[in-house]
Amino acid sequence: MNLDKVIAGFFIILAMTLNFGFFYGDALDMHMHSKYELFAAIIVNIIATVLKLGDKTQMGSVLIATSLVADLQLIAAASIWTIYSVDGTIDPEVFGVIISLSGGALLANITSVILYIGDTLKSKR
Amino acid sequence: MNNSSLWIVLQRMRLPFTIIVLTYAIAMAGLLIITGFDEQGNPYRMSIFDAFYFITYTATTIGFGETPFTFTYPQRMWVTISIYLTVLGWFYGIGTLVSLLQDKLFLSEIARAKFIRAVKNIKEDFVIILGYNDTTSEIIKKMIDDNMRVVVIEKEQQRADYLSLEGFIPHVPVLVADVHSPTSLECAGIKSVHCKGIISLFESNLLNMRVTLASRILNSHIMIAVRSSTDIETANLLDAGANIVENPLAIISYQISMALNTPSLFKLENWLYNIDNLDCKTFSIPKEKIMICGFGRLGKSLYNVFAKNGIKPIVIEIDIDIVSEAIAKDIDTVVCGNAEDRSLLEKLNIQDMNLIIVATNDDTTNLSIVSTIRSVNKHTMIVARENELSDFSIFSAAKIDHIFLPSEILIHKTTNAIINPLSDKLMRLLQSKDEQWGQQLLAKLIKTISVNPITFELNINKIEAIELHNYLSKCENSVTLNEIRRSRRDREQFNNIVPLLISRSQEDILLPSYDYELKIGDRILLACDENSQEDVEYIVNNLYEFHYIITGEERNYLNKFISRS
Repeated sequence: MNLDKVIAGFFIILAMTLNFGFFYGDALDMHMHSKYELFAAIIVNIIATVLKLGDKTQMGSVLIATSLVADLQLIAAASIWTIYSVDGTIDPEVFGVIISLSGGALLANITSVILYIGDTLKSKR
Repeated sequence: MNNSSLWIVLQRMRLPFTIIVLTYAIAMAGLLIITGFDEQGNPYRMSIFDAFYFITYTATTIGFGETPFTFTYPQRMWVTISIYLTVLGWFYGIGTLVSLLQDKLFLSEIARAKFIRAVKNIKEDFVIILGYNDTTSEIIKKMIDDNMRVVVIEKEQQRADYLSLEGFIPHVPVLVADVHSPTSLECAGIKSVHCKGIISLFESNLLNMRVTLASRILNSHIMIAVRSSTDIETANLLDAGANIVENPLAIISYQISMALNTPSLFKLENWLYNIDNLDCKTFSIPKEKIMICGFGRLGKSLYNVFAKNGIKPIVIEIDIDIVSEAIAKDIDTVVCGNAEDRSLLEKLNIQDMNLIIVATNDDTTNLSIVSTIRSVNKHTMIVARENELSDFSIFSAAKIDHIFLPSEILIHKTTNAIINPLSDKLMRLLQSKDEQWGQQLLAKLIKTISVNPITFELNINKIEAIELHNYLSKCENSVTLNEIRRSRRDREQFNNIVPLLISRSQEDILLPSYDYELKIGDRILLACDENSQEDVEYIVNNLYEFHYIITGEERNYLNKFISRS
């Protein structure tokens, strides 16, 4: 068992599950989407990105690319939320954008996890 | 992203980055959970952005104060904890980055990247020199004088630093790496179209062999110049694909043999190496009463040269094994003893000796022997071997008639072979000629030009002789050597030029006659004076001069127009 692999796998999968947790639920119902869950998803996503840094292989490059996509989408969602909540009017239209952005990030995270599992299965050790 | 230094940074920064993110997350989470009160005393909770903003300026120790409202005591307690937490995270990150900048591996990667960029930016011809020492330093100077750029690979950092301190202009990039590894050779641009050659003059034959094999595989067009110590090694290196193999000790014995039999060829060779002019007096070697001190590799090959000419020199050797080995080979003039011993020298009738060659491989021993000999016999001719270039001033101050300097021979041979390949070829062709031939050429050169002519190479191609090339490619008429030696002032007059060699794809013509027809692709070696060189270069490149030389008329567009209509 490789401790590095455990930690990296933990964060990559946690990033996906948190992302899913935030995304799941009626897209227009604000009560079904916690902003704290979004916050946690961003933090875990960034950690997952950092853990993938410096891998020169082909797989490493694709993994980091998926992570960067997820980061970008989640941070964009959080930024929109912050900006629109200043004047206190988050209408369903804006909220829909936030949820769909996180949905995009979820896809990237799923890709990342699939690649990660594939890479692990291929490794003989 | 093939730049390894960037990858090293990214890989090493994984943990610090993670820790910074974690400390931020913990500090922000605390601020989000704890309830505060606004100015009216209403309870409120920080938004995520508020918390992020506050932590951002607190963690970086900027500290704008408490926003959006004054904090309550529970909030302040949490902020106190988070300041210690986040500041520690930052310091750890910055500390890792700073230590990374001092990391040896990282620095060498940066230096390598800089070296590769410097080599890629060289848009002129260059040679790769392996190892930096006194000998290669001289070679670098000569190469730079001849407008050849140089790239150096050196194993030791300290020597590479010495090279940087020399401050060669133009800049000589140096890579600190294993000299024989193919990767460093590739970094040094061995595959570049501008790379003309590689020079490897190591003492170790194995190293030279590895370099030769690797270089030949990486680039089949470059010149490979290597050093060898024995004839067998020379043959092996030539088989491996080296173009120039130099054995300094063999060259010394060859020079002695030339001085004995063909002094005029010896003069010519010295002149081609720019060591001396044609009128110099070469040291004449007496035919009897010769003594050799030291029976190592040089001593043995010198003995063989003398023996071939029917001379039996007396040999002094200190090592009893070598002496008994020599006696086993029927060399009966070998004496076992210390050449620094005065009484031994007197016993061997040193007063009567005409020539004493001091040929051990240790400079101190050589100098000591020379001073002992001089104290007994002030008039005999002494030839000594100098091993280290740096001892030059001591040797020139000692009363020695001629100094053998293997390193200097290496310097001359190597630079000549790479910068003037034709004169190197000429040198090889000279070896088969006799004394009479040499004297004739010597007389011709001195009579036609001067005692110190210059040589230069003319390649008939689009770059070096555009007009001649165009004229020949139209196949109108033939052009002979006579044409290009005409004077630009008056075409009936001839410049002081002696053609030495014409090299074509397969054949080499030694001393071609003046009515020799030129072809595209010919490489010509000419001996001439400076004025004539200028004339030749003008004639083959300038439209008007070329027209005048060929036709005897001034080129004029109006004439051409009239003759056409």
